[in-house]
Amino acid sequence: MTDSSQAISVTPSPAAEARKARAFDALTSQSSLLLGVLVILIIVFTILEPKFFSVATASNILTDWGSIVLIAVGQAFVIISGGIDLSVGAVIGLSGVVAAWTMANVLGLDQTVKGQDAWGGLLVGAAVSVGVGLLVGLINAFLINVLKIVPFIATLSTMGAALGLSVVISQGAPIGSANDFALISSFSPQWNPLSPALVVVIVVVTVLGLYLHKARVGLYTYAIGSNAFAARAAGINVARHLTWVYALSGALAGLAGIYVYIRLGAGSPSSGTGRELDAIAAVVIGGVSLMGGIGRLPGVVIGALILFTVQSGLIMIGVEPDWKKVVVAVLIAAAVAAQVLRKSDGRS
Amino acid sequence: MTNTVIYEAHDVSKSYGSVKALTGASLRLHAGEVVGLVGDNGAGKSTLVKVLSGAHQPTSGRLELDGVEHVWGSPREALEAGIETLYQDSSLAPHLTVSQNLFLGREVMSPGILGKLGFLARRRMEKEAHDDLERVGIAVPASSRPVSALSGGQRQAVAIGRAVSWARKVIILDEPTNHLGARQAGEVLNVIRAAKAKGLGVIFISHTLPHVLEVTDRIVVLRLGRIVRDAPTSEFTPDSLIAAITGSADSEPTTDA
Repeated sequence: MTDSSQAISVTPSPAAEARKARAFDALTSQSSLLLGVLVILIIVFTILEPKFFSVATASNILTDWGSIVLIAVGQAFVIISGGIDLSVGAVIGLSGVVAAWTMANVLGLDQTVKGQDAWGGLLVGAAVSVGVGLLVGLINAFLINVLKIVPFIATLSTMGAALGLSVVISQGAPIGSANDFALISSFSPQWNPLSPALVVVIVVVTVLGLYLHKARVGLYTYAIGSNAFAARAAGINVARHLTWVYALSGALAGLAGIYVYIRLGAGSPSSGTGRELDAIAAVVIGGVSLMGGIGRLPGVVIGALILFTVQSGLIMIGVEPDWKKVVVAVLIAAAVAAQVLRKSDGRS
Repeated sequence: MTNTVIYEAHDVSKSYGSVKALTGASLRLHAGEVVGLVGDNGAGKSTLVKVLSGAHQPTSGRLELDGVEHVWGSPREALEAGIETLYQDSSLAPHLTVSQNLFLGREVMSPGILGKLGFLARRRMEKEAHDDLERVGIAVPASSRPVSALSGGQRQAVAIGRAVSWARKVIILDEPTNHLGARQAGEVLNVIRAAKAKGLGVIFISHTLPHVLEVTDRIVVLRLGRIVRDAPTSEFTPDSLIAAITGSADSEPTTDA
């Protein structure tokens, strides 16, 4: 109690303080901790099953990661903005089915197409797939902004509608073989870890990461999730921004739809079923708070890697594949519990 | 305080359905003047604030800013015309940093192509945030810290600093000293003095009458949706102010309340 005036006002040097704070943040950041967890998991699984440490396993993990990281990134934007998007899994199925149906029935393609025509067909398919996702995202935004339905229910209903529609359009069976198989398999990360499909995914995720953390759209996403009232008072058009966020999530699910199509060589109505849970798991493992306003994209990217590392690792050490969903559920619960514990620890 | 009238409400009424929240309120605010707005709960203070800040449109009456009549379609329009409002509940986003909050809605973009692509000039905003707050007499820890890491008093200081540094004409402060300790409230009152010195018109709404008596030039008392008293602060004593608020001063004889 020597000098009470010091308490609120004076800080030694804001610049030095900021540098120190940043250095501390970098060491204890969610991303570094998650990378540590990932490395430990890889070591543990390799000890339990030496074959785990292989290009084939890495390729498998990356293949699954590619589709889920897309919807997880969309989900991260949505959850940081204070909402949730349950429709993304169903949109993967619907957009893949509609793309396959368009290529087969509108463009009249089959597996005899080669070269240029096959390329064109695939590009049209990709555009249709992203377009379908975008449309569902816009419907979500309409339900949320205009009809004032809470995001959970709004996206639950579009999830149901998308699942139903994809079965109606495909008549319940995968629509396949509309492309040159050699072409689409050259895209598939299954055969080539650094495939064009995976490169597209990495580029998209990187660009969106820059936008979330360095650009105005990202700032507004955090602001709305942190305090929507304050965001509105600051003059942010909250409804318009949320429209953008849900449209992004939908479009990314559409992109994941064509990714999965390329991987399967067919548009299957069930190809995305339940995937929204994987996305939510990746997001919360990555340190995004379900309450909104908190989380960083590098964490989500690593969170998705952890999710699939655990899933493939368990399968390789002999755990029944049917246990996968249970594992995902446990990971979600553990990640959220860890967030709560960190918070009550006085750190946010 | 100058003699220039900066913001004026003429005979403003506001009804919500059949409920008359505000009846015939007229208010004149000069540049460099601090006007206290007091009244019991339900007296119409927040209705008047919402009308003045553009959040609600009056049922009748008109508003003039710098002698020009305005009809606010939204708080944004009032904001753009130079009227800043600090609402009772925190108008800060706790997860954003001090500088992000200070610049929210008015970000500085990166120069050149990056700015056109939507990228922000973070470092520049952090530096300017620090300077802006210092200018209005608020020194907070590094402006790159999240607001949630600050104490309640510091948060309020940032919120007010934000409003004062952006306001061009009028600043409306709704209960800014609520929940603050004595010293922190003192800091807030100093910021109000800084805003006054800057030539802003300040409307200060508070239940804490000593603060109102300390910092205002004039006090407007609302009761049951009407302005019942509008006089220089020097004409009030703590007792006469309470009497004006509760209504025991005029018509009615002393009640047992």
